[in-house]
Amino acid sequence: MASEAKKETPSSPEKTLTGIKSNFIDSNTILVQRTLRAGQKIHFNGNVVILGDVNPGAEVVAAGNIIVMGNVRGVVHAGAEGDTQAVVMAFRLQPIQLRIANHITRSPDEEEMSGTYPEVAHIKDGVVTIEAFSTGGER
Amino acid sequence: MGEVIVVTSGKGGVGKTTTTANLGVGLAALGHKVALIDADIGLRNLDVLLGLENRIVYDLTDVTGGRCRLKQALIKDKHCEGLHLLPASQTKDKTAVNPEEMKKLCQDIAQEFEYVIVDCPAGIEQGFRNAIAGADKAIVVTTPEVAAVRDADRIIGLLEAAELRNPKLIINRFRYKMVQQKDMMSIEDIIDILAVDLLGVVPEDEQVVVSTNKGESVIQDERSRSGQAFRNIVRRIKGEAIPLMNLNQNGMLNKLRRIIGLK
Ligand SMILES: Nc1ncnc2c1ncn2[C@@H]1O[C@H](COP(=O)(O)OP(=O)(O)OP(=O)(O)O)[C@@H](O)[C@H]1O
Ligand SMILES: [Mg+2]
Repeated sequence: MASEAKKETPSSPEKTLTGIKSNFIDSNTILVQRTLRAGQKIHFNGNVVILGDVNPGAEVVAAGNIIVMGNVRGVVHAGAEGDTQAVVMAFRLQPIQLRIANHITRSPDEEEMSGTYPEVAHIKDGVVTIEAFSTGGER
Repeated sequence: MGEVIVVTSGKGGVGKTTTTANLGVGLAALGHKVALIDADIGLRNLDVLLGLENRIVYDLTDVTGGRCRLKQALIKDKHCEGLHLLPASQTKDKTAVNPEEMKKLCQDIAQEFEYVIVDCPAGIEQGFRNAIAGADKAIVVTTPEVAAVRDADRIIGLLEAAELRNPKLIINRFRYKMVQQKDMMSIEDIIDILAVDLLGVVPEDEQVVVSTNKGESVIQDERSRSGQAFRNIVRRIKGEAIPLMNLNQNGMLNKLRRIIGLK
């Protein structure tokens, strides 16, 4: 799948998406138009946008950012080549494990009350931090 | 040309064979010509469930291997007019058949029957690929457990990859009380993850085991709750819109309690 992706023409550098400061903002992006089910994996050397869910047992590894227009319940790894500016964004973020660059977090062992609003995970002061996603302004 | 439906699950022991037998009996009881194919080669048990073990002469691999004609291998059910079984071989392994042979076999059987239901083995190996090879539609069975749902999800992904889209889901061994106590996944939790159409929910029911051991099917037991659930599923397969039955076993009791002011 990854190899079939086409190169996107980079847009102007000052028009960045809110809060995403990753180096990959204007590089390759693939659009995955389905839910990733258990046992399915996507590895991509750029950004990954998923129009669907990432189910438990599914895995997304991206050198850039990962944006999921759905639920994340599987494993996601953004900035897999070491980009600590990479982010993971989802309508609902409840991953079993979430990695950014070489930072790893896992879901709390107890049942967690997760919000039903979009969230973004990024590295803040050296730790992976999950926050409500809001447009406009710096986090 | 009949419809070939495969009953599959990923995880073992969740109720594929039980479902296949009950749907077969249920459809035949409504007057349809039904053939069941036991594709769990090497581990046959559909014949045992139907109480037909002693009538097996030829099996599936004899048909695909050209050692007998299809008609010779198909066994007539003893209770149910219109129901036939193509048994699996117990002595050979999964590699005795390949997907092309299975596809041809399903097509041949579908010439003669309105419904062909294939009982799939557990797992995602060749046995699974054989079982789905000739199917037009798929039914995925799961129990309300995290591991079973995970495997069902995996299977749905593989079915989609094999162009078997929009599989229908049966949740088996559902226990209302455990879900109430949050000890088991709810129907909503399961549908939320799997995102497929629900064909029915079959409650956990001792009668399933009781009937099985007698070589009968619980769907013929008018009073059993699991039988009712299977009867509803049969009608949904036929395209009728039947609402989910009340899964709260203590429904009567609660109503009574409410009436006498205990709740
Ligand atoms: N609704 C139910 N209530 C109680 N017991 C059930 C129910 N459904 C199935 N069972 C029991 O669960 C066991 C496994 O069922 P079954 O053999 O149909 O599963 P299977 O998915 O075909 O297993 P396998 O993967 O080994 O082929 C059997 O003993 C059966 O009687
Ligand atoms: Mg079985």
